[in-house]
Amino acid sequence: MSEPAAASAQGAGAAPAPHARILVADDELGVREGCRKILAAEGYEVLTAGDGKAGLEQLVERGPFAVLLVDLQMPRMSGLELIQEARNRDPDIVPLIITAHATLDTAVEGTRQGAYSYIPKPFTPDELLLAIKNGLERRALSIEARRLREEREKRLLEVAAERSRSNTIIAAMTDGILVINSEKLVVLRNNATARILPDCAHRPIPFPLDEIESADVQEIVNVVLDSPGGFMILSRQIPLGAFTYMLNVSPIIDPGGETSGAVAVFSDVTELKKLDAAKSMFVSLVAHEVKSPLAATEGWLNLVLSGMLKADPAEERHMLERVLLRVRTLRGMVNELISLTAIQTGNFSLKRAPVAVADVVAETVEAHREKAEEHRISVKISDCVTGARVLADKDALSMIFSNLVENAVKYSRDGGDVLVRIGREGMYVTVSVKDNGIGISPEDLAKVFDEFYRARNEQTASIPGTGLGLSLVKRLTELHEGTVGVSSEPGKGSEFIVRFPSIA
Amino acid sequence: MFNGPMIYRVDDDKDFLEMQKAILTHGGYRTRCFSESREALDALGEAAGPERPALVVTDLMMKSLDAGFTFARTLRSDPRFADIPMIIVSAAASRKGFDFRPRTAEDLAAMHAEAFFDKPVTPAAFLAKVKELLE
Repeated sequence: MSEPAAASAQGAGAAPAPHARILVADDELGVREGCRKILAAEGYEVLTAGDGKAGLEQLVERGPFAVLLVDLQMPRMSGLELIQEARNRDPDIVPLIITAHATLDTAVEGTRQGAYSYIPKPFTPDELLLAIKNGLERRALSIEARRLREEREKRLLEVAAERSRSNTIIAAMTDGILVINSEKLVVLRNNATARILPDCAHRPIPFPLDEIESADVQEIVNVVLDSPGGFMILSRQIPLGAFTYMLNVSPIIDPGGETSGAVAVFSDVTELKKLDAAKSMFVSLVAHEVKSPLAATEGWLNLVLSGMLKADPAEERHMLERVLLRVRTLRGMVNELISLTAIQTGNFSLKRAPVAVADVVAETVEAHREKAEEHRISVKISDCVTGARVLADKDALSMIFSNLVENAVKYSRDGGDVLVRIGREGMYVTVSVKDNGIGISPEDLAKVFDEFYRARNEQTASIPGTGLGLSLVKRLTELHEGTVGVSSEPGKGSEFIVRFPSIA
Repeated sequence: MFNGPMIYRVDDDKDFLEMQKAILTHGGYRTRCFSESREALDALGEAAGPERPALVVTDLMMKSLDAGFTFARTLRSDPRFADIPMIIVSAAASRKGFDFRPRTAEDLAAMHAEAFFDKPVTPAAFLAKVKELLE
């Protein structure tokens, strides 16, 4: 007992785990017990087995063990077999072979098959303790290494999950994203970009920036990458195919303050541009529509004031009547604009009272008769519901019918026919205005009630209008709990129908 | 007074046709008015002697956006009418964001016109230009 204690002071002074559990499997009782005593004196917990089978039973029932000391030649199960069984159960176990010189070759082979080392018999306590100490150190290192590896793998997994989340977000974004590094290689491209820049959709990442077809994209990215000191963010609208994108390019600044790349973001602003263009077109249309009658008015007044006409009262009167007509048109248009704006902002007040539909229809048709006759267009009324009345604002109703009749006349060919029909559909009084004019294409038909929308083609180019009339009709009708409808066939004509709740 | 030179007026705005007819009549000219450039071209083909116009005054925007330009170009490219001076009057000088107003003699030549007026024209200025072109 005293000897091992002394040995412990020298050989295993820095033993990493003096209480480690050790299994000794040897069919020689002397070796078994000798080892047990030496090791137990050092504070190790030692179990023993007389052969391989017994060793395996100990492993199964009493494990785990830090070290397995085995003799190679044992009855029932060889040491190598036991080592293998032990390693299968616990890869961290440190198997040590105790062997006589005669079987040194086998021991070497044993280490090849997974034994950590071998201790040739006979050995001194110090030799045994040193081998155990080295084995335990190696075991601790390998456990620590595995712990670190597992931790690293776990972190990598977390990073990968994080990256995959980011990638998923970037991939799902509707804005296109490109990342370009300082070597001007495209290193990231999301799905939207593949759609926005189809020419580089299938190029394997990374690919050179100058392989992107759009010169605008190349230029803007280059400016940002080449700007001295970085910190330059460029935004520009660029047309790509049928679309317009707002391209924002910002530099990626590394911790040293250098530009290490750039991020390009493409936002689709096509619809905004269209809306913007529609509004500009509307302003331009209104300006033009206002200018024509104003120019005519000014022209007539110039003529009257020039004194050229030698004060022929009849001629002067005729001219002033023409002026009045143009000014009235102008006022009508301004009213239309005001009404629409009022409806849009919710400031349109209806003065509703029972109104005889036939009366308003008759007045409206009469107001458009002159214009219709100019083009030999007949406007007929067919009243299938005598005495139909609705609870309505008479002026609004008049505006609705007037717009529909005016359109029917405007979009008719010379000599055409317009039929205004008062009818009934269940609880509703209907007024339909049907013409056999130029008709409306299916694409335009879907949009005729949109504000500012006007069908644009060769036939409509010369027809004046603000694109407000039908949207006004729709909004005014809806203010009366009514509905609008349209059917049309290009070249054959159109029929607009408005329905109002009936009160009689 | 009614033996003066013939002037053709093309405009789809009835008011301008009427008021310029009044001005030109006052100036001693005879006029024929057309609401479409096609009609004016047809009449030109048949006009002879004193009925042949000495001057054409046309609007720029008629049935289609470039009707006035097309009319002017057609007239200039036809050797029978190439010598007839032309005045363009327009209320749509800057429609659709295009500014058609000619600023130099080259602009005018490109429009195939001898003079350009933004509507409305004062009777005096209009008559003075007509007189100048017919001298």
